Amino acid sequence: MPQNPTDPSSTEADLLSIRAILLAQERERLQGFEWELKALQGKLQSADEAQGERVQQLLSEIRALQLRIRDDEERLRALQVEVELLRRRAQADSEGLVESLTPVFSGLMRQQIRDSRDEMAEALGPVMGEAIRVQIRDSRKDMVEALYPIIGETVQQAISEFARELQQNIDARMRVTFRPRGILRTLWARVRGISPEELLLRDALPFSIREVFLIQHDSGLLLAHAHPGNSGAVDSDLISSMLTAIRDFAHDAFGHGAGEKELDEVQYGDQRIIIQSGSAAYLAVVLTGVEPDGFREQLREFVSELHVRYSRALRAYDGDSIDLPDLQSGVARLVIAPQEPESVAPGRLTRAQRWFLMGTVVTLILGGMLACFYLRFTIALLPVAFPPHTPTLTLPPTATPTSIPSPTPTSLPTSTPTFTPTPNPTPTRLPSTTPTPTRTPAPSATPTVIWTPTASPTPVSAWAVGNVWVHSEPDYASPGFAVLREGTAVRVLSTIDGWKQIEWCETSSQLYGKQTGWVWGQWIADNE
Amino acid sequence: MAEQRVIQRKVCLLGAFAVGKTSLIRKYIEGCFDDKYLSTIGVKISRKSVHLEGGALSLILWDLAGSEEYNGVQTSYLQGATGGIIVCDLTRAETLDEWRRYTLRLRQVNPQARIILVANKADLVASRVLSDGDLRAAAAACASDGAIPPYLLTSAKTGENVEAAFLCLAQQLL
Repeated sequence: MPQNPTDPSSTEADLLSIRAILLAQERERLQGFEWELKALQGKLQSADEAQGERVQQLLSEIRALQLRIRDDEERLRALQVEVELLRRRAQADSEGLVESLTPVFSGLMRQQIRDSRDEMAEALGPVMGEAIRVQIRDSRKDMVEALYPIIGETVQQAISEFARELQQNIDARMRVTFRPRGILRTLWARVRGISPEELLLRDALPFSIREVFLIQHDSGLLLAHAHPGNSGAVDSDLISSMLTAIRDFAHDAFGHGAGEKELDEVQYGDQRIIIQSGSAAYLAVVLTGVEPDGFREQLREFVSELHVRYSRALRAYDGDSIDLPDLQSGVARLVIAPQEPESVAPGRLTRAQRWFLMGTVVTLILGGMLACFYLRFTIALLPVAFPPHTPTLTLPPTATPTSIPSPTPTSLPTSTPTFTPTPNPTPTRLPSTTPTPTRTPAPSATPTVIWTPTASPTPVSAWAVGNVWVHSEPDYASPGFAVLREGTAVRVLSTIDGWKQIEWCETSSQLYGKQTGWVWGQWIADNE
Repeated sequence: MAEQRVIQRKVCLLGAFAVGKTSLIRKYIEGCFDDKYLSTIGVKISRKSVHLEGGALSLILWDLAGSEEYNGVQTSYLQGATGGIIVCDLTRAETLDEWRRYTLRLRQVNPQARIILVANKADLVASRVLSDGDLRAAAAACASDGAIPPYLLTSAKTGENVEAAFLCLAQQLL
């Protein structure tokens, strides 16, 4: 049956059927999506469940950890308390702690040193120097005390060695001094104000030449080299070149390229290098000690002579020894010449020295005897040649009238002359010298003293043999109040312990009259 | 007894700083090489005896500092030198100019001095910047009276041509 196209119900049905046909595929896809969605939802649900379980698990683990942390915290707190207690105890008893720990540490150190000595040395080596420096800075005294036994012994040894060497040198020098040249030198030194002891000491100070280099000025090539014995340098060629480089450096650095200034001495420890320069070559002498007088002059002469004789050869030298004159022997002589005094080994005197010494001694003895004889003879004849004066004393008037005017004038002019006797009589020398008629060598001149004013003149018993101080007490410590002149007649009053109490008549204006005092006995000669 | 003949010759090593002068001497005398660079202060002197067909020779080697600050004192060190080894560095182009400069300087002090030119560090092939042509031209610039001084490529590290350079000079000095 044909359908009516204008029928709306049939049209809707058609549309529905067409829609169903067209959307069937989409519906199926939608259904598929729905199923997938459901499946995913199921999966998600199961995953959520698993996740929840996992979370639960983690939460329980976290709780367990929290518990453990709490335990640890409590333990830590307890440990801190213990540490604090220990710290306080250590502070309170640090010495005890050190005492208890020292054996442990020292034991460990000892074991370590025994087991691995090199490692320990390597480990401690770098700090040892610093430790010593710090120790010296902080407690110098302790370090000095600790090191004194070592250093003291070393110094003592060095000094004794030096003293022995000095002694040997002095012995050697003593023998040289007896040579005519040595005697002349000593006399010349004496004239210049140097004592023989100083000269001897100066000569005995060790001096030795270790090496002599003759070096070409510009190139630094070695021309000749000498040294005593086996004390030669390791490589003389290198030394000569290096020395030249040093000279050039010093000249360029400090000489500013002007003038004749040159390096003339280098010191290294107890060794010195003396440089004597010439125009074509220079001499470098390595020595120890103090060089003798005229040594530099000797070097100067040597270099000068070399230049006079070999100037052209020295300048033209290009390193080939065949073109070089014989310089070696001259340089070698230079090494030996100043060594001579030191090379005299202590031993017996030579025959000539013995004869000279004996002759000197005999001459001295004979001279001494002759001098004694002459002196004795002269003394014996002295009183004959020069007869002694006999001092004669004359006293002046004993009283001096002194008029003392009255301080208050009175109406009656009464003059009362007052006589004040002078306590010491004034001696007056009488012009009567009495030479002793006897010609005896001994000083037997008898001085005669006349005490004119006194009723009983003092008997002359002795006289002064020289000008001597008279003391107030029999002691040198007591003050000397007058000088007793030689030849003055005295009277010995008493004698105590070698001192003589004397009485004499003083004529000087300061101390006039009879005086008493003490003089050491040997200054007074008895007349008997 | 006839005195033994000794021939000494003063030889100066010249060149810019760090070209390997000291290393060359060290390799030649001691047979060793050190990578560490230690600048020479002033001068360093060494000695080496060389035995040649014509006789024996004692070379006094003056290793002069290459630094410019020492140039003031170098002139006196050059006095009396009969030979010179002038060194450049194959890896530094500017050191080649020093060949000519030092050659002139040495000849100013010692006109008769024999000279060998050396291009060192030949072992550093990768960093080499100087070609053979550069070296030839630089050597030609050092010529005196038409005579071009010989030049050698050396390596103080491997020892390449080190002894040859010194022997070459020694033969000229004998």
